[in-house]
Amino acid sequence: MTLARIKRVALVYCQGGGLAQRIAQGRREYAGCREALEALKAGEIPDAPQPLCGAGCVGLGSCAAACRKGAIAIAPQGAAAVDGEKCVGCGLCVRACPQSLIGLVPQDMPIAPLCSTNLPGPAAKAACPAGCVSCRLCEKNCPVNAISLEGGHPVIDGEKCVSCGMCAVKCPRGVIVDAYGIFTPPPRAIGRA
Amino acid sequence: MSEGYTFTVNGVQRTATVDKPLLRYLRDDLHLTSVKDGCSEGACGTCTIIVDGRAVKACVLSTKGAAGKNILTVEGLSPAEQEAFVYAFGAVGAVQCGFCIPGMVMAGKALIDKVPCPDEAQIRRALRGNICRCTGYRKIIEGISLAAAILRGEKEIDPQLEEGGDYDVGQRAFRVDVRAKVLGQGEYCDDIYMENMVLASAVRSPYPRAKVLDIDPAKALALPGVLAVLTAQDVPHNKVGHIQQDWDVMIAQGDITRCVGDAICLVVAQDEATLEKAKKLVKIQYQPLEPVRNIREAMAPDAPKVHSQGNLCQSRHVTRGDAKAAIAASKYVVTQTYRTPFTEHAFLEPEAAVAFPYKDGVKVYTSDQGVYDTRKEISIMLGWDPQRIVVENKLVGGGFGGKEDVSVQHLAVLAALKVGRPVKVKLSRKESIDFHPKRHYMEGTFTLGCDENGIFTGLDCDIYFDTGAYASLCGPVLERACTHSVGPYCYQNTDIRGYGYYTNNPPAGAFRGFGVCQSEFALESNINLLAEKVGISPWEIRYRNAIEPGKVLPNGQIADCSTALKETLEAVREAYEANPGRAGIACAMKNSGVGVGLPDKGRARLEVRGGAVELYSAASDIGQGCATVFLQILATTTGLPLSKLRNMGSNSELAPDSGTTSGSRQTLITGEAVRMAAADLKKELDQAGGDLAKLEGREFFAEFFDPTDKLGADKPNPKSHVAYGFATHVVVLDEQGKVKEVWAAHDSGKVVNPISIQGQIEGGVLMGLGYAFTEDFPLKDCVPQAKFGTLGLLRADQIPDIHAIYVEKKELLPFAYGAKGIGEIATIPTAPAAQGAYYAMDHVLRTTLPMEDTYYKPAGKTKEDR
Repeated sequence: MTLARIKRVALVYCQGGGLAQRIAQGRREYAGCREALEALKAGEIPDAPQPLCGAGCVGLGSCAAACRKGAIAIAPQGAAAVDGEKCVGCGLCVRACPQSLIGLVPQDMPIAPLCSTNLPGPAAKAACPAGCVSCRLCEKNCPVNAISLEGGHPVIDGEKCVSCGMCAVKCPRGVIVDAYGIFTPPPRAIGRA
Repeated sequence: MSEGYTFTVNGVQRTATVDKPLLRYLRDDLHLTSVKDGCSEGACGTCTIIVDGRAVKACVLSTKGAAGKNILTVEGLSPAEQEAFVYAFGAVGAVQCGFCIPGMVMAGKALIDKVPCPDEAQIRRALRGNICRCTGYRKIIEGISLAAAILRGEKEIDPQLEEGGDYDVGQRAFRVDVRAKVLGQGEYCDDIYMENMVLASAVRSPYPRAKVLDIDPAKALALPGVLAVLTAQDVPHNKVGHIQQDWDVMIAQGDITRCVGDAICLVVAQDEATLEKAKKLVKIQYQPLEPVRNIREAMAPDAPKVHSQGNLCQSRHVTRGDAKAAIAASKYVVTQTYRTPFTEHAFLEPEAAVAFPYKDGVKVYTSDQGVYDTRKEISIMLGWDPQRIVVENKLVGGGFGGKEDVSVQHLAVLAALKVGRPVKVKLSRKESIDFHPKRHYMEGTFTLGCDENGIFTGLDCDIYFDTGAYASLCGPVLERACTHSVGPYCYQNTDIRGYGYYTNNPPAGAFRGFGVCQSEFALESNINLLAEKVGISPWEIRYRNAIEPGKVLPNGQIADCSTALKETLEAVREAYEANPGRAGIACAMKNSGVGVGLPDKGRARLEVRGGAVELYSAASDIGQGCATVFLQILATTTGLPLSKLRNMGSNSELAPDSGTTSGSRQTLITGEAVRMAAADLKKELDQAGGDLAKLEGREFFAEFFDPTDKLGADKPNPKSHVAYGFATHVVVLDEQGKVKEVWAAHDSGKVVNPISIQGQIEGGVLMGLGYAFTEDFPLKDCVPQAKFGTLGLLRADQIPDIHAIYVEKKELLPFAYGAKGIGEIATIPTAPAAQGAYYAMDHVLRTTLPMEDTYYKPAGKTKEDR
């Protein structure tokens, strides 16, 4: 069977608020995530003592603005999150995200690593409370070799993954999340059915 | 200490005091044995339960993680749901070994709750995390679909089907073990919890070849809860082995290990946590040595000797006529070298046994393929009269040849005798993968000749097997590879040389096909190349050469009246010819019965007791369904209904030896013994006016033996085997090279149970496709690299359409109503047919399995070295 028949929903591969909080320090109204990122690059946002994960969610809701179903909102810690019930998998948010943090995944594959950092372990740990620290426990424990570290974060091969949840229960950082809320608490703020 | 973790299990609130895998809590604390432990790695799906409405693997979730959640197992399904699944799975034939079944039921139930009318694609996807090694999934998918229809009220349960009113040979019989297996009530060894029972497990070598310098169990013995640590010194005769006793029960101090997982010592402890802790406390010093990695290294003159007598374990020379002269005179000749991998059986139930002191000896509950074989191996180890050892099969969760050797049975016996209590020994999935005997790795060079019309003239070949660390069944498997390398044709010049070498790889032994998967892959590939040279189709060349009744097989045996290879070829001709450039074809033959002059006997005893007929025959049902077959034969012969018949199982104390479940022999060999005993009973029953009560207390015993000739017998037409099954498979690819459909036509004589034989064929075909495309057993310096989840076992969402066809001839053998075995042959022709299909598609000859550069294994992906 083809995966096309299975409903796909959007997923934001970040649940940390590090970057979003820094952007918020810019003390300026931005038109959207893209403008804020440009301001950051231009040095308009003051440095902070901790390292910065440049790959994370900007937190200004360009995705939410693009969504016609009201399925995306900014969760309390600053990153966007998707309501899988409302999402129809149209992909508008995917295009709206300047960080390419949003993907469409089959709704019946609830296990996902919600981090996209490229920082090495110690730096990632310092930069974000919800970031991958490259411990590789997910890789070591996956029974089907479906998960591997790419850059500084885990990536799941959807062809191999059987959604057993082993990576989610082994992840010491809560990076890998079960959308059904069985192996881990559900993703922050709003979950998926 | 926290107050524990509270959750609901099957409607009852429970509190676990310890944080551990939910699987262990459900099994060990609540004894909910429907939740099976197939891997404890999240890979197999046998422990699938429902948590808060979702299908979840109980080994992944912990009791802590389960806090506050609602848990459902098969035991907690409503009676209506239980009945729906029992009936649906039984009616379609979804149950074979049954070990995956409760997990399948729960995965299906979770789907049906969300989607009351699921289509096939949805069911397949819902089962993608649940492995079945027996059925090929199709019947399970049908079972879930039917259960859903019953639960929707659209289909009804027909209670007569399970009652077995019409249980005659040839009927769609509802297997006798369905209810127990679907509901998780049936007892596999790991489901046994006896009073005072303790656990044992071996500390095993991480090195394939290392000298054991020192074993110090002092710290382990000092741990509270540890009862004993046994070493080689505690074993009366430290060798076991199915045929050759070359396998050390434990490697003694000062000796050298032969493969990863060799047992060094056996720890007995009161519970699992203590056992694991104690095993880590045993201090063993090794001196790692250079291992013998492959056949070439084993053959080297200066190679280390894996066994003292040298590295050549077994050899065979099968010859008839003058192959060299015939090939030299042939119009066309093809020579090619082929390689096939080790293959892991991956039966869903890992090895387990429970032993305890019994009468003047010991009794052991086992999961194996022959209780008398196990008794023999244990009696050799103990130096005891075999009678003192009683072996009884519990349900066997799949075998496929991989449970012919002792693995844990003898260890359980040693420990039980040492501590005087019941002892359970089970292998972890990793242990099982590391060292139970695999299908042999083969390298073979095959030369086949034919005349201008494509008529085969002669075969010359060398077959090299890597038999790993121990012989296991190397001799007979190598012999079968040699004798069947000729294929089901009728030429008379053969020169076949087979060699089985010891290495430090995991041992290799019996596996469905028994050597023939390897050699027929090579032969059938060569046949396609000859067809090309002659300018005829692969179908045509096979048809021209096909064996027929009265013609002489290459081994000299005259094909009997039941031979129906040509009929199988005709059955798939249309499918083959309708898909030019996309279809491959291959034939196979496989012996039914051990043959070759051995005393291969079937035995059965009937006892009339309590108004019913009890059948005693020690013939292991490893999932293939022989227990049901025997009852069908009994019902047919006696005319009695199933309600008056009982199969009393496989127990060496009560039932006569009816040989190993091997060589596709039980249906024919034991089946005929059952028929003979039943015929005697029927005669008496008729004289008693059909009143079974008048036979109360009577016994009827029968032994069936149809002698065969030994290999190389000095006769013009020696009879090697009682019977041969024949088959032709056609594999059809789609545009991407994905297998679209498989047509599998089989001659197995009289079909005893149509739904069972379909399940055997479908499961065999899927196993063959795995062999062709996805399954591998990579080794790095003799160390297995695969986990259960990475073996390449095909999943429910990957299966093609499999058309199981059986051709039934009017002329049948006079045994067991004309039935011949189906067990092994179903998996033999698939891989060469798949290879032929790829050759037809892209004209690249793939001489190695699993094949490279296919839809399933795109080019560029590197293989582990071996």
